[in-house]
Amino acid sequence: MTTSDSHSKQSLGFRPVFRNGPLAIFASVKLTIFLLALCATTILVGAWCPQEATVGQEKVIEQFGEEMAVNLHNWGITDIFHTPFFLILIAFLSMNMVVGSLDKVFPKLRLLKLPLQFFGPDQIAKMPFNTTFTVGASPAETLEKLQIKLQQRGFKTVVHGNQLAAEYGKIGRYAPTITHIGLLSLLLGVTITSWTGFSGFKPVRLGDDLSFKDSEHSKQWIGKLPTWKVHVDATRREDYESGEAKQWYSDLSVIDDKGKVLDKQQISVNTPLEYKGVDVYQSSWGLDQLIVSFNGHDKTLDLRQMGKVYAAFLPLDSETVLIMSLRNQTAPLRLFAKRPEWDAPKMISEIPQGKAVNLGAVEIKYVRPVPVTGLQYKSDPGLPITYIAFGFIMLGVLLAAIPFRHVWVSVSKDGAESGSAVSIGGRSKKAKVGFERLITKIVESMKHELPPPVVTTAIDPESEPSINPTASRSNESNV
Amino acid sequence: MSDFQLALTNTAGVSSVMSFWVFVASNGFKKYHDKMMTAASIVMGIGFVALTLAIIARGVEAQRFPLANLYESLLWFAWATMGGYLALATAYGIRQLGWLAAMLAATMFLYGSWLPANQQTISPLVPALVSYWRQIHVPPLIVSYAMFFLSGLSSLLELFHSRRKVSLGLSVGTIVLAFTAIGLGTFTSVDTKWLQLLFVGGSLLGTIGAYYTLKIKSGEPNQKQAELYDDVSYRAIAIGFPLLTIGIITGGLWANHAWGTYWSWDPKESMALVTWLSYAAYIHLRIHHEASAEKLSVVSVAGLLLTLLTYLGFNSLGFGGLHSYGKFK
Repeated sequence: MTTSDSHSKQSLGFRPVFRNGPLAIFASVKLTIFLLALCATTILVGAWCPQEATVGQEKVIEQFGEEMAVNLHNWGITDIFHTPFFLILIAFLSMNMVVGSLDKVFPKLRLLKLPLQFFGPDQIAKMPFNTTFTVGASPAETLEKLQIKLQQRGFKTVVHGNQLAAEYGKIGRYAPTITHIGLLSLLLGVTITSWTGFSGFKPVRLGDDLSFKDSEHSKQWIGKLPTWKVHVDATRREDYESGEAKQWYSDLSVIDDKGKVLDKQQISVNTPLEYKGVDVYQSSWGLDQLIVSFNGHDKTLDLRQMGKVYAAFLPLDSETVLIMSLRNQTAPLRLFAKRPEWDAPKMISEIPQGKAVNLGAVEIKYVRPVPVTGLQYKSDPGLPITYIAFGFIMLGVLLAAIPFRHVWVSVSKDGAESGSAVSIGGRSKKAKVGFERLITKIVESMKHELPPPVVTTAIDPESEPSINPTASRSNESNV
Repeated sequence: MSDFQLALTNTAGVSSVMSFWVFVASNGFKKYHDKMMTAASIVMGIGFVALTLAIIARGVEAQRFPLANLYESLLWFAWATMGGYLALATAYGIRQLGWLAAMLAATMFLYGSWLPANQQTISPLVPALVSYWRQIHVPPLIVSYAMFFLSGLSSLLELFHSRRKVSLGLSVGTIVLAFTAIGLGTFTSVDTKWLQLLFVGGSLLGTIGAYYTLKIKSGEPNQKQAELYDDVSYRAIAIGFPLLTIGIITGGLWANHAWGTYWSWDPKESMALVTWLSYAAYIHLRIHHEASAEKLSVVSVAGLLLTLLTYLGFNSLGFGGLHSYGKFK
């Protein structure tokens, strides 16, 4: 066997599928590198510039100013992941992956079925790592001892006459195939979701319903939206002692179009409602409105989040503003007044829920706050395939860490003596230094455990172990 | 933070600084070189054990998995850097990587110690982080980042031993510039647009410069050492890449579990994908023999810069997104 990988693969029956023809260009590894680099650069730009589809146009204007934001928008950078350029790039990368898998990755599986080959001293001497040594034991005994030592280190060995072939980490050779199957499955899962799935977000006030009629989905969509709705029965926020939010909860009922309750579930962040392929997530929470009554007349005021509190503002005259502040759902309502000549608002009163206070001729009663729960929902029919794809990819990259190693040994009778001359060599695609140390260790232990060669003539310099550098750069590594 | 935990963390920080100086000083004492190298590794080992105990103590004190903000992630990063170096040093018998690893760990300790006190004190979790997914998703990512850093540092040594000193100088300068941008972004109020330009522009120019100056050799290469550090660099990536993949995928699973979408082009997850793609390109270049060891070293340094941008850059250089737990401004 030569040290050339490509030559050895062809001699063993590996031949790229798309050597010629229109698809050959997509099988190029150089194209893979180019597309990966271009894809990485595009995503980097997309990560740098806020994306309108995710955070809205206001964020782009806030970050870059109006003029620059308009330019970025016109260039497609503010929604780069939906531009024809990016979609074509992904299509090219997918094509490259499919063709590359069929051309180079999957056909290599055939190589794994081939039996191990055996080599003589001359061929072993050309291997990336090789050495020779002599011992005073017979070739059969020497080979048996070497076989045991390699097996103890996890090598699978085959002996043919006075030659031995061993391999380690063959399972690692499946890594590219499994990873590429995972990536192709991921493409399939994402495509199924894109054609049939839907998603959306809606802030829903306590007592209101969530319907799916305003869902977002792709243009090529062939799915169906559910007719059932989700009713918010209750929603609350749980705090730490310090007053910071610990968790948000919502009690939800699934109801059909006639109002019949089909299911009831409590959700929180990280614990969604799951019903007939649709998941509803607790994604945000707040106090949206405040109901107060003035002399018995209920009025609903909008609340604004101001740091840790929610506040409603009610102008009393041209200079005085009544501020109603709430810390949480159960805390009392605090009333403040603010005039321009005051440095800070002055607190007037504190009203527990359901109670009233009199301010001059006006009775103000704190009726209740109206909480709003932010519900994210989605239907993702391709998810099982996507999850299987994730499993394949993780397995593939884990297997890729296993070094694939080959060792070949040829033992011959050492001249007219009873000893043996051993040629041992091999290669490892990863962890070459560790591989070379392993072989050196085996050689040293062989010399230590077997009797030394009987020397009847002058010392032959070749009887000492030697590391033979060849053209390959790994020959010169640290041993 | 308890005094016990503080003492352990300080021990680890001081160990990393001491270890760095002993590694550096060993080069000036040829007679005691090997002994000093061993002593430096032992000091780092002591720091590693102290930091392991400090992280455990923090978890016990906080009654949660101790990886929820920037400060805690820096402790984990330093821990993975020290542990990663000790493992590589044991496997390969290398020592020169030690002073770079010790310097990196010390830098992270210093960075962490300069963060505001509210980062260092144990604080309650925001609702989104109250999940078992946090301990599945975050540790593989932090450990992968540390492995990529060790790979990049090993590549610097490969460039040194292959006598590509101009390329090495440009690579080191680019890394220093990138860290400067991160430091300014974290601790000053310099306009983040300039810092983004400094980081990204500097990295781009520096990496291209390092690549095109590979032709310039300044002496006879120490081939044996160059190949050793090339192998170490690849090994670190071979460990880091699966961990990054697992981190990204488990992040997707968590996001799907919590928000209903496993991918939302959030800046941080996009950047993690960029890092993944760059190392995927490295692996393709490597296994298809498309590039020399020196070119691969420059790719690995570029990977280090992308990892730095993913890990610290997005929080300190003013990028938004859902992964803002590391922010403190």
